[in-house]
Amino acid sequence: MTAALETTGLGKRYRRTWALRDCTLAVPEGRVAALVGPNGAGKTTLLHLAVGLLGPTTGAIRLLGQPSGGAGLLERVGFVAQDAPLYRDFTAADLLTLGRKLNRRFDDQLARERLRQLGIPLDRRVGSLSGGQHAQVALVLALAKRPELLLLDEPLASLDPLARREFLQTLMGSVAEQGATVVLSSHLLADLERVCDYLIVLSHAQVQVLGVVDELLEQHRLLVGPYREQPFPIPGVAQVVRSSHTERQASLLVRTNGPINDPAWRVREVSLEDLVLAYLADPSAGTLPGPLAHADRLEVQA
Amino acid sequence: MIWLVWRQHRLQALFAVLGLAVLAAFLVPTSLQMRHAFDRAGLDDCLPKASRVQVVQTGPGGPGQDNDLVAACKERADRFTSRFGYLGNVGVLLWFLPLLAGLFWGAPLVARELEHGTHRLVWTQGVSRTRWALAKFGLVGGGVVLLAAGFALLVTWWRLPLDQAAGRQYLSPGPIYDLIGPVPIGYALFAVALGVLAGALTRRTQAAMAVTLVGFLVTRIVVEFMVRPNLLSPARRIFPVAGTTMPNELVRDWIVRAGVYSATGRRLDGGTLGAYSSQYCGPQLSGKCDAGQGVGTYNQELFFSSDRIWLVQGIETALFVALAVLLLLAAVQWIRRRRLA
Repeated sequence: MTAALETTGLGKRYRRTWALRDCTLAVPEGRVAALVGPNGAGKTTLLHLAVGLLGPTTGAIRLLGQPSGGAGLLERVGFVAQDAPLYRDFTAADLLTLGRKLNRRFDDQLARERLRQLGIPLDRRVGSLSGGQHAQVALVLALAKRPELLLLDEPLASLDPLARREFLQTLMGSVAEQGATVVLSSHLLADLERVCDYLIVLSHAQVQVLGVVDELLEQHRLLVGPYREQPFPIPGVAQVVRSSHTERQASLLVRTNGPINDPAWRVREVSLEDLVLAYLADPSAGTLPGPLAHADRLEVQA
Repeated sequence: MIWLVWRQHRLQALFAVLGLAVLAAFLVPTSLQMRHAFDRAGLDDCLPKASRVQVVQTGPGGPGQDNDLVAACKERADRFTSRFGYLGNVGVLLWFLPLLAGLFWGAPLVARELEHGTHRLVWTQGVSRTRWALAKFGLVGGGVVLLAAGFALLVTWWRLPLDQAAGRQYLSPGPIYDLIGPVPIGYALFAVALGVLAGALTRRTQAAMAVTLVGFLVTRIVVEFMVRPNLLSPARRIFPVAGTTMPNELVRDWIVRAGVYSATGRRLDGGTLGAYSSQYCGPQLSGKCDAGQGVGTYNQELFFSSDRIWLVQGIETALFVALAVLLLLAAVQWIRRRRLA
């Protein structure tokens, strides 16, 4: 199995501060990956490094098996930057012409059809469209490249809930058809929870959580049980990610490495949001299930 | 890329062509009016003959046939100049047009993309950044050259009667030299290139405009005063302060320097950058002419003749075009190498 997006030791420094550091990750082909993290965690930096808008300070990044910046690579990659920049005085038709002139395999018909379905007029300046329509035009423009990898930076940030849903519908409909790998960034996981099957959590310029969503959910449990002053080992718990307690009762979000049969604890499944928040709340909770661990598993799968 | 550049700049191009048309609507009729008056005054007939005379007699040295011809023609030329000179003064406003091209086309060319984030759209398509930059700069630069050439031709043609009647001119500071011939093309292209590079470096249109304004003026002033007079070695002409001859002012020489020197070669007046001075007195030193100068003082002029000036202009134009190309290549390189996320 090859990775659609792969970084090794990737880092980007602006003067003294690292916007991204020691980033090693791989997004397998065909996944819809959520790139999540608080503002300033390095999501945009990672995406800009991927499309060559930035050059790395350390490490390397490969897209679709090619190093970033390779000739012809960007024809196979769709990218919508934050705030979906478009030439505001262009009409949607103008933008399609732009796409056609600047990309060899631009699917003009697909784009026209999508815009028609969305009810977006071709002859109006995009500057006069609503925020939702504006974002849709940018997405359609990227999709019409028939990209093998689609990178979207905070595509939902400026949209109202209805527009979010429509945007994700357009996205997922096309992805299902085209079989592209998608990386969507957001500082709100809730937006992406329904559509993503792969998760990258960035925090403080570093990768904190990485993996297939189902596996992550399978590996984590919420334990509720009696509170004791002294922590004690629980069979089947590899790591306590986050704990909180009242006088009597403790609740632990844990990573497991086996079944938990201790009758003192009630075991519950966790939601993706709880999981992410638990890791984000404690950046030292470890980079888990670490990029290296993940690479091992990739090899096993291959 | 050609389509994209055209789509992005077609309004500018339209306005520029319209502006040129409006300018022509003012320049063509006034030039025709001048040409009519020029011919009616007989200047078309007398100037070619009169400007062939290099030296004229002053004072009671026995006026010859040439002297009469020159004197009569000079009188008509002066009358013409005093009638239409105001147009020449208005025309000096055109000096600023190349700078405006730099401020309003050059500075926003890259800076606006960076400000609006649209570079993230256009640089992530199938066309490389290098090609984008080369196409954009090449096409816009070509458009600027075409427009500037039209402008330069128009103004040169418009001014011709005024310049013929004026006779000798001064090289620098030379609002006239700056307006005619090919130099405006060089200035405009340079201004635009400076704006483009400044925009790529500062990433802000306003900052780029400020840099362009200062950079253009400084470069122009340095070239005007320090480079232009040295582009070719000028001819030299010496004649006495007190004597019976002086150079014919109707000859269209371009004076580089003119000054008054003592018999020992010490400069008494003028003769430096932008300071022109000469004195023509009668055969006897007397009164004002005599004051502190003494016997043997002489005038010295360094000048380019009217046919050599085009070579000077050609070299200066080439210099500015070369500077512009360097600036644009630097901008391409910056865009290619630097990752301007």
